[in-house]
Amino acid sequence: MNAVEIRGLSKNFGPKQAVCGLDMTVPMGAIYGFIGENGSGKSTTEKMICGLIPASGGSIKLYGKDHTDSAVRAKLGVLIEAPGCFPGLTVWDNMMLQATNLSIPDAEREVVRILKTVRMEGAAGNKYKNCSLGMKQRVGIAMALLGNPTLLVLDEPLNGLDADGMRIMREIFCDIIKDGKRSIIVSSHLLGELQKVATHYGIIRHGKMIVEMTADELDSSCRTYVALQSGEMNKTKMLLGCRYSRVEEDEAGYLRVYDMTTPEEIVSYLYENGICVTEISTDKIGLEEYYIDLMNGGKK
Amino acid sequence: MENAVKFESVSFGKRVKSMLKVDFRRMLKSKLFYILIACALVMPILMTVMMSMMDGSESVNQQTGEITIMEGPENTWQNIGTLPGEPLGGAEIFAMCNINMAFMGVAVFVCLFISDDFRSGYAKNLFTVRSRKGDYVISKTLAGFVCGALMLIAYFVGSVLGGAISGLSFDLGTLNAGNLVMCMLAKIFLMPVFVSIFTLISVSAKQKAWLSICGSLGGGMLLFMMVSMITPLGSTPLNVVLCLAGGALFALGLGAVSKIVLKKTSLV
Repeated sequence: MNAVEIRGLSKNFGPKQAVCGLDMTVPMGAIYGFIGENGSGKSTTEKMICGLIPASGGSIKLYGKDHTDSAVRAKLGVLIEAPGCFPGLTVWDNMMLQATNLSIPDAEREVVRILKTVRMEGAAGNKYKNCSLGMKQRVGIAMALLGNPTLLVLDEPLNGLDADGMRIMREIFCDIIKDGKRSIIVSSHLLGELQKVATHYGIIRHGKMIVEMTADELDSSCRTYVALQSGEMNKTKMLLGCRYSRVEEDEAGYLRVYDMTTPEEIVSYLYENGICVTEISTDKIGLEEYYIDLMNGGKK
Repeated sequence: MENAVKFESVSFGKRVKSMLKVDFRRMLKSKLFYILIACALVMPILMTVMMSMMDGSESVNQQTGEITIMEGPENTWQNIGTLPGEPLGGAEIFAMCNINMAFMGVAVFVCLFISDDFRSGYAKNLFTVRSRKGDYVISKTLAGFVCGALMLIAYFVGSVLGGAISGLSFDLGTLNAGNLVMCMLAKIFLMPVFVSIFTLISVSAKQKAWLSICGSLGGGMLLFMMVSMITPLGSTPLNVVLCLAGGALFALGLGAVSKIVLKKTSLV
């Protein structure tokens, strides 16, 4: 059984089709990285999963049941766009309100535990409106974690978090899926961070799922490249450009050769042309580059 | 099937109970609730005292020279309803600005209470874990009803205090205390009629508080004149039953419409 199974999902806003025939499968125990450009339909899809907007067509099943089933929905945790908190209430009051909404037994102890998990126990008495952006995000995540949800739907949960916050999030995510029954859908533009935790990926464009894959599949789909540095970078680039079809310079100043080749072959070719290579290694492109390639219609 | 996930279905009673707990918790933490109750308590005191002080004072129209003698309240219960022999729902100030204003005051509470859910984004948290929109409508209607009932009671207490301060008569004439109780009960049971209208307008307007307040005050005004007619000071059990039936019918009917509105529209 899959945690989420979406078939032919569509959503129209007047004449505009935000989501068109989307298929999506989130297995149980997965951290599903949901990736796409701005306006690609990620948030709309997530809102439809949570029942916040009605779908124009298609079906959504959560753990084999229709997404309108109240028993399944009661075990959802959500953070979409911004945390849903009352600005005039304190962090504690907002948390207690959500705990009451979820009918959590021993709510006070649970709220204390969750606030400790997201390192917000010291700010429980602060009014929500006086919290910083990062603190608000942590409160939003804490609210989503209340009630031990079976499925977490998080839209840009890493926005505004500092390095420590991101590390905590990674730990929380990994902890949640440990039992293999609970799943998380995370959409984020911080692809580097997402790659550290995601076990599955779904890439959406213009409201359509263009690719779904596991982290292993992504790894094997990602091209390897040879990165090198030499004393004469301009000459090296020119020489490599003559022999290989795709040579690019990265932000760190390394030249990357994406063609099927080996470091030994490149070193000997450059040596023959009077260039001494100072540093050379092989590596694989990451999720970010894979995604950019895919969006640009380039090679994987 | 060791990997299967079990979901416990939540009973209707449990769902509504937790939703009510959320709303009452919020209501008791809301400044607006206390401000409205305080207004309902203080307004009749101020009005009665001020009108009593102005009783018998003359004002002259500078252009026509016409002299108008101000008439103050003669009886404390004029604040609650029309006394026998008085025109029902007339244009007299005490026929308009009396306890029935609570029906309009509760519009502000219901509209801001509901629009706050949508403006703050809390509606996302609520509706994600609650697929049954009926729970929300029931809870909001009940919260509005309780607030309205408390406003009516506060206004009643304020009227009695105002009457006592101003030295007004507490004589009910041909009526008795039973009629007064029936009148108050009829007004309280009529409250769901208004609250369900305001709830429907508010869930339709969602985060647009100004739209829901304007719509609710406009919609409420259409029924406002009716209040003094069906809940006079000389109310009988029939008035109470009529108001109770009306309140229940409106709450059920408009509640069902509100539920459909929530189901068919975007909640964010």
